[in-house]
Amino acid sequence: MNDFSELENQLRKLRPVQPSSDLVNRVECALTEETSSPTAGVLPRERKFHFNWLSLGLGVAAAAALLMFAFLRFQQPIKKTSTIASASPGPAISTNNQLVPSGLTQVVYHTRDEGLQFPGNSSQPMRRVRSHTRETLQWRNPKTGASLRISYPRDEVSLTPISGQ
Amino acid sequence: MQNVATDENWKTSFSQLAPGLVLFARQWARSAADAEDIVQEAFVRFWKKQHDVSNRGLLYATVRSIALDFLRRDSRRAKRESAAMSDVDQGVEPAFEIEDDSQRALVAALDLLPVEQREVLTLKIWNELTFAEIASALGISQNTAASRYRYALAALKKNLPAS
Repeated sequence: MNDFSELENQLRKLRPVQPSSDLVNRVECALTEETSSPTAGVLPRERKFHFNWLSLGLGVAAAAALLMFAFLRFQQPIKKTSTIASASPGPAISTNNQLVPSGLTQVVYHTRDEGLQFPGNSSQPMRRVRSHTRETLQWRNPKTGASLRISYPRDEVSLTPISGQ
Repeated sequence: MQNVATDENWKTSFSQLAPGLVLFARQWARSAADAEDIVQEAFVRFWKKQHDVSNRGLLYATVRSIALDFLRRDSRRAKRESAAMSDVDQGVEPAFEIEDDSQRALVAALDLLPVEQREVLTLKIWNELTFAEIASALGISQNTAASRYRYALAALKKNLPAS
């Protein structure tokens, strides 16, 4: 026999405070907004504030990490004076013109938190973050001073599982 | 594509569930307004994906996830989070409509419960979820959910003044 039945009855008599009357209207507005703009946030002010700091931090961290990576990676080819010919065979870059890699930068200039998603039939919510990045590769001929620079944008989406705890 | 905003089913479902959902969210929110914001965001995201509330475990899991996320978004709340998990919602605004002293004592005893027991109790008593649904919502086993429920009732009984 359940000796907590009386206590359970007492608990059931406790009535939760009713939500404010405009909550339904707010949900309706949010559903409408979300329908027209799938990435719109319900709590835009707080999210925007953190989003800016997050973007700045991510951008600076990514740029610093990639600059260090590029520096380390391109140190060795410079010593060996390898040319770019094999990687970028073109008439302007002949074997006489020894272009050597001189830099790689990747700048994350914009990230956007697109909120929680439920990919596929998963019951686990995941946070979707879109990053806009610009990568720039540089080569330089130390003898002539000629340089070559290629820059291109990248768009990356990452999904991070949200833990319940 | 179905327009989720014009589907009137959500209003019926939401009206029935809202008090319990807000009460559940109150465990992590400092105020009723914060709890309503959490419920609003969770329900909108849930409804867009599911279009019905048959999967109640997922709905409450979404509320819980967004509530914890809501806490972390605010640095002051984040500092309090560890404390809040064990000592949540000592807030000024009542979560229940209290009618007499016995109910006041009951609510006070509820406030003393560990959050993991209180959330199970909230889901079981005021949201009428099954232990299977509670297990799904909280990411625990059904046995654990049932145990926490019993521990919560035992602790409540112990903490209540003898009548």
